[in-house]
Amino acid sequence: MSSRWLGVGFLAPALVAVLFFFLLPVVMTVMFSFTNMTTATGITGGEYLLSKSRLRQLEAEGVSEETVERLESAGYQITEQGLAALAEEFGEDRADELREDYMGESFTARRDLERVLRNLNDDPIRRTRDRKAAADLFAVTILDERFPTEPAFRDALTESGIDPADHDALVKTAYTGWTWTTDNFKLLFELPATLRYAMNTAIYVVFTLAFNVGFGLFLAISTFYLPQHLANTFRTIWFLPRILPPVMYVLMWKWFTWDTGFISTVLSVFGVTPINWMTESALNAWTVVVLINGFVGASLGMILFSSAIKAIPLSMLYASEVDGAYRWDQIRYIILPQLRWPVLFMTSYQTLSLLTSFEYILLSTEGGPGGSTTTWALAAYTTALRNYGGNLEYGFGAAYALVLVIIGIILSVLYLRFFNFKELVAKPRIEQ
Amino acid sequence: MTGNLRIWPIVLLLGIVSAPLIIMYVFQVIESVAQPQPGTLMPGEINLHNWRFLWQELDRGRPSIWTATFNTFIFATTIALAVCALSSTAGYALSRLNLPGRPYFLGGLIILHAFPTITLIIAIFIVLQYLGLFDTLLGVILVKAALELPFGIWIMKGFYDTVPWEIEMAGVQDGASRFRVWWELVLPQVKPGLAALGIISFLQGWSEFVLPLVLAPGSETQVLATYMYSVIQDDAKLDFGLFKAIGMFYSLPVILVYLIFQKQLMNIYGGGTKG
Repeated sequence: MSSRWLGVGFLAPALVAVLFFFLLPVVMTVMFSFTNMTTATGITGGEYLLSKSRLRQLEAEGVSEETVERLESAGYQITEQGLAALAEEFGEDRADELREDYMGESFTARRDLERVLRNLNDDPIRRTRDRKAAADLFAVTILDERFPTEPAFRDALTESGIDPADHDALVKTAYTGWTWTTDNFKLLFELPATLRYAMNTAIYVVFTLAFNVGFGLFLAISTFYLPQHLANTFRTIWFLPRILPPVMYVLMWKWFTWDTGFISTVLSVFGVTPINWMTESALNAWTVVVLINGFVGASLGMILFSSAIKAIPLSMLYASEVDGAYRWDQIRYIILPQLRWPVLFMTSYQTLSLLTSFEYILLSTEGGPGGSTTTWALAAYTTALRNYGGNLEYGFGAAYALVLVIIGIILSVLYLRFFNFKELVAKPRIEQ
Repeated sequence: MTGNLRIWPIVLLLGIVSAPLIIMYVFQVIESVAQPQPGTLMPGEINLHNWRFLWQELDRGRPSIWTATFNTFIFATTIALAVCALSSTAGYALSRLNLPGRPYFLGGLIILHAFPTITLIIAIFIVLQYLGLFDTLLGVILVKAALELPFGIWIMKGFYDTVPWEIEMAGVQDGASRFRVWWELVLPQVKPGLAALGIISFLQGWSEFVLPLVLAPGSETQVLATYMYSVIQDDAKLDFGLFKAIGMFYSLPVILVYLIFQKQLMNIYGGGTKG
């Protein structure tokens, strides 16, 4: 088998997965952001439905008064469909007589049709209430009737004798599905909340990143100077937040900070009223959010930086000590310069993942109090996928997400240029 | 590391900054079996009241924890297998085979590896609805496995890169096909890498929260992460003892796996995708 075809076969399953769950979603995020898709419009096409309640708004939308009246005051027509219903409720005989004498005939007022029903030769409908019900079986109206396609709806409009000038407006109003629009982006620029989400994201990324890198450095360097078993103990303590399930990890923070939790219980000994330290104020919420993410991120820094420090030749460190270097000098002149690349990598890598992650915020403060810790990514999620509000705005949420997708693509392409690309794509040596 | 530097100031400092975590761990374990006396942190009587979720219904309409555990196990195992299978072939293709357009695939892989997939969740939510896979375990498994793939392929490519060329050369010169060479000679060489990737994918699947929350919200498809989340959300009394017991039950496999495979994990986890 030629290695070329083997390669294609080996890569194909992964390519299909990438196609369906990366490329397709990227394209669809762009598409959805230009629609007004919500739970109400559904995600497939819609139907055409003029409801009675919408009728009042029609005039404001430029539909003529005459048309509205026409839609409202339904006419009556003797049709097979109506006769079948009549036969079922009021007997075959009456239906047959009506079919013979009046088939296809129209009545503008119900009064007229009722008169006919009262005057049936064979077996007139005597009770007024029955007559009304019988007449209603022949009502011709397009209100509250669902039409699957636009032509079907237009035909129905023409049949009911509605002024063709109003057809377009009615079609537009009656459509229940989603349509293309650029309103999402207009709204994005107009809403004051947008600026706030951007600011929140900046705060979140800058502070968490500073904590991750700074604290990661501290952990890596300090554990380096400890005997093996002590170093391992502390590394395990700091590594656990990273492998514990997020729901579980954040639960521990909730217990630590909530009003029945650790901080409140300890402080109540000193007479402080128990409060929820996580969501008490915006400052508290930010502190907790940064720490929750920071503890997880710092462990990544600890691992990366520790292995970089291990790569420093021990003889270099011994030599510096013989020369009388203090520990601080050793860190300053030998260890830190060695960590330049890992720090750069960690900064760029985490900038992107922090920009777009919302899992820990969702689990802890849920963006509160009062939206003060809602970042851009969380806003996209809440707008499009959070169930509490009832109507999920997929289109608008996708517009928020699109901004992140674009930033994500730009930054990851930039990172690609950072790698030593030529070496990476060197030809396999086994090929001649 | 060296003799002339005192270590106790470092231990003290590390101990202070680690205190919140240590306190959380200690009370997590204690309070899962002992209710604290009201208003204090002192553990009271030890009993299994907090673990009642294992044998009785917590609320009406909530699925049993065993359903969720079974789902989580299926979810994590299938993901681990799928990621291992697809990464071991795709990684080999990218590392060793002369593909048309190989540089572009490699570049694409690096971009995908860095790309924050969580931003695509709205579109994926709708794609799954179109495919009829919304609120099924299969759907969310496919998504999670696909999103883990770039990481898996990247790791496996790295492992393949370290296998000496001579092994393959020898095989090819003896007349074996490239496929046989891969299966019989190269794959055994990267077994440790494959095992590590399997463990990590399993842990990632076991811990995954947002994808099941969004893509499989029904009670039949609940996994432990969404189960625990909904118990916490629905409980007005804030029964932290119960939450902690569920958390212990949920985290035990993770902690066990960590204790057993500590070394391998420490080495490879650096490339993980958590923030």
